[in-house]
Amino acid sequence: MFAELGHFSLILALLMSMLLAIYPLWGAQKNHQQMMATAKPLAIGMFLFTAFSYVALTYAFYTDDFSIAYVAHHSNSLLPWYYKITAVWGGHEGSFLLWVLIFAIWTVAVALLSDGIPKAMVARVLSILGMVAIGFYLFMLWASNPFESLLPFYPVDGRDLNPLLQDFGMIIHPPMLYMGYVGFSVAFAFAIAALISGQLDSTWARWSRPWTIAAWGFLTVGIALGSWWAYYELGWGGWWFWDPVENASFMPWLIGTALMHSLAVTEKRKIFKSWTVLLAISAFSLSLLGTFLVRSGILVSVHSFASDPTRGLFILALLGIVIGGSLILYAVRAPQLKSVGRYEWFSREVMLIGNNLLLTAATMVVLLGTLLPLVHKELGLGSISIGAPFFNEMFVYLIVPFVLLLAIGPLSRWKRQSPKALQKHLIVAFAISVSAAFLIQASYDQMTYMATLGLVLSGWIFVSTIQEIMQRTDASHNKERSLLKRLTSLTPSHWGMVFGHIGFAVMLIGITLVSNYEEEKDLRMRPGDVVELGGYAFQFTGVRDLVGPNYSGHVGIVDVYTDTSLSEKVTHLEAEKRFYPVQRTSMTEAGIDSGISRDLFVALGEQLNNGAWALRLYIKPFVNWIWAGAFLMAFGGVLSMCDKRYRMAKVAKVKQRFAKLATPDVEASNVATAQKVSQGQA
Amino acid sequence: MNPRRQKRLMGISAIVLLVAAAVWMMLTALSENIDHFYTPSEIVEGKNGAMPQVGQRLRIGGMVVPGTVNRDPDTLAVSFDLVDVGPIVTVSYNGILPDLFREGQGIVATGRLTEFDFIVAEEVLAKHDEEYMPPELAEKMKGIKHVKPQNIGAGQ
Amino acid sequence: MRKVTIFMIPLTMFVVLSIFLYKGLYSDPRQLDSSLINQPLPPFSLPDLMQPEVTHTPDVFKGDVTLMNVWGVWCVTCAVELPYLTQLREEQGVRIVGLYYDQDTDPDFGIKSIPTIQKEVEVKLGQLGNPYAFNIFDVKRDYSLDLGVTGAPETFLIDKQGVVRMHHIGDINPRVWNNKIAPLYNQLVAE
Repeated sequence: MFAELGHFSLILALLMSMLLAIYPLWGAQKNHQQMMATAKPLAIGMFLFTAFSYVALTYAFYTDDFSIAYVAHHSNSLLPWYYKITAVWGGHEGSFLLWVLIFAIWTVAVALLSDGIPKAMVARVLSILGMVAIGFYLFMLWASNPFESLLPFYPVDGRDLNPLLQDFGMIIHPPMLYMGYVGFSVAFAFAIAALISGQLDSTWARWSRPWTIAAWGFLTVGIALGSWWAYYELGWGGWWFWDPVENASFMPWLIGTALMHSLAVTEKRKIFKSWTVLLAISAFSLSLLGTFLVRSGILVSVHSFASDPTRGLFILALLGIVIGGSLILYAVRAPQLKSVGRYEWFSREVMLIGNNLLLTAATMVVLLGTLLPLVHKELGLGSISIGAPFFNEMFVYLIVPFVLLLAIGPLSRWKRQSPKALQKHLIVAFAISVSAAFLIQASYDQMTYMATLGLVLSGWIFVSTIQEIMQRTDASHNKERSLLKRLTSLTPSHWGMVFGHIGFAVMLIGITLVSNYEEEKDLRMRPGDVVELGGYAFQFTGVRDLVGPNYSGHVGIVDVYTDTSLSEKVTHLEAEKRFYPVQRTSMTEAGIDSGISRDLFVALGEQLNNGAWALRLYIKPFVNWIWAGAFLMAFGGVLSMCDKRYRMAKVAKVKQRFAKLATPDVEASNVATAQKVSQGQA
Repeated sequence: MNPRRQKRLMGISAIVLLVAAAVWMMLTALSENIDHFYTPSEIVEGKNGAMPQVGQRLRIGGMVVPGTVNRDPDTLAVSFDLVDVGPIVTVSYNGILPDLFREGQGIVATGRLTEFDFIVAEEVLAKHDEEYMPPELAEKMKGIKHVKPQNIGAGQ
Repeated sequence: MRKVTIFMIPLTMFVVLSIFLYKGLYSDPRQLDSSLINQPLPPFSLPDLMQPEVTHTPDVFKGDVTLMNVWGVWCVTCAVELPYLTQLREEQGVRIVGLYYDQDTDPDFGIKSIPTIQKEVEVKLGQLGNPYAFNIFDVKRDYSLDLGVTGAPETFLIDKQGVVRMHHIGDINPRVWNNKIAPLYNQLVAE
């Protein structure tokens, strides 16, 4: 009964999205206040109905309602309650429901938090979000309904949730990732609204900045969680596999990073406008493409409950309308986007656009590597796969110029920077980072070029970031004030940048050290055997049986000591191998001892004869820095959003005050005047 | 040619050169890292008229011939035969086999061809047939006549 | 005008990409159906699951339009479709023959004896309904491979001459039956 209400509620949400797509936009075009004012209640309505629908499905999972096909396929009465709730997004239909729920959350957030933005703009933005939402609600109701019933015949018990997804990391990974994916829709809607309205100055860039940063932050955390999950759950010790699903989330992240920076340039310097608009469209388009690639089964084939290709076709049609439509609009309107600022070859603008191009190139590499197998097959050239070394090699090429620009960029001035003035900074940064790289490597047995390169690059970012802070605090404030005061006088968004860049450096250190200095052994061990690896002694104590709520299995017990005398114990590790009878799959739970400078990692393999077991042992130096770096970057995003400039209501008040003083508002006037004014200034 | 134009031309040619170099680098990296997918019979008899080269990186998909899985008693080294419709290819691997590796199951291995019918694998993947078969393998195995593995063993 | 051309580049790239995505969608291995379509069934000679002394050959398909359903008790999706298949048999008189295989003849899970398997099958069909006229036991699972079966459940629609007319991968539910299978089935019955 509840489930039917959920279904009905979804239909109402569709209706809301249709009204939202029409009225506010119409109102904005006709300058009709009442029609524009419908945007907010409609957005709230869309959210409430979607949320109710989601709660209804969750309730069906919680109460083991196996008469609903989706519940029967993805849950089981033995599943612990918390996994029942998270199993809602364990499959196709439910994860789409989560997707639209998050879409509705973003929409309602825009509706509620946009007090400082002109009503017509908000109305257009919400209408565009409404249009996109229509497509997804139609898709769900037509081809992917999570409430489809199995009545009158339904199974006594469900098929169970994929064991890979029965894990804490998986509980929070998809919502975070979707928050990021879907969040780019806001920047997209602002860009499209600007194109539609013809109000092509850079105000839209300021309005969409906090939204873009928020989406980017979520995506960063989402990807990091996914990588962390793969690390301890798959038992391969890897943290990034370049598989299509990962790539699908990585592409919007790369473009999102470029967008975030490009928006800053467009807002502050009123240049690169058409580029920024293109990035805003691309970031959301790549999110949609990622959804399509993952959900259509075009790259990953899952056999059971084969979805009909109509689903894939539907999403593709949706992509065609949303992406194709916005790119047509772009092709028509972008020539009118005029950049007004001037800059020289060596300036912060050029560094930022340079890094934008490098990020775009990186996206192209990932896109090519992900889709080439498909294209190759379609051209009749046979099945291929692109190995991870391709991506790794390309990213090594790309990261060197990227880091150089990243480090110099913040030190440089807008418009024009004299290279000479930077010379001293660069020499100091280079000297420090090279010596640091050699010092760090001295603690390892051998040096490699790659490790040196990676460490120099990360050191370079660290040093130049500190130089930049010093430059700021020295220049803008009286030396008599205490250092702390001067540091706190920097804006939160400035600290956001600092954390973002430092986070990237931390991540780079982790990646460099773990890729170059990890130690691995696949071994055959009998209880009592001791093996030495990377300065630790691993003793395999034995295996005991394991009984879980919906699985059984074995636990391999390994004690780690500082040396083979086994006198000083470091840690006790338990590596599980679980067997899930309902899905008939095995799962590895690695035993990991985490630390700042290294992880000790043990995975249990198969049972061999004579009581021996196959074991995989790893020492992963600094692997946690990868995720720590990602969280630092996301924290930088949070700081940036806290900046006062983005508190719309306050900004609006200040603006009003200025308006009273009859100051001409350059940004609100049309492009032609803006140009005149800037020419006059120049 | 005035200096402004000359400067512009220099700028454009620099960009073109840079892009060309980047594309070339990418294609080189790509050609080294494309793993073509073969079945055992394609390795022995050639694919589209071309034989795979010894030393080439490739992916192979086939069924593990029952009774051919040999383990080294002291290490994790293992070798097994793969078959699809006739010819047999041997794969050797040093490491932990995936959880669902079984005789008679479909598996996919990535590695290097070291002899005309011998592959040293870096990675072996297997999933339960019933739930999943690597898409390439599923496609290859559609509608082809399967020779019973035991018969092949006996016939040769 | 020159500027417009530059701004068309993203659109062009997207169109090219969409063409490949569209083609890719339909060359999904699930859809590229086996070369078996419109071919007679490959020859076989396999025992009956319940009465192993009885041997079946493709002749069992001559004369009736039949659905051959590949399944096993270990397959949960199969359990989901059993009630509906039973309903098809009871209400529309559809002849359904099972092609049974058991993954538990796998030594790593312990070899199961035929009586154990028969018992499991009886229990399962007792609970969920028995749509099958009889079950062919694919002892070594090689006949399913000949058919291009990649898993269970899969279903073949076979005409009165023993020719495969359709291969469906995944479960049969009312939607699949009504939209995909029933039209051809009714036409074959009428022939």
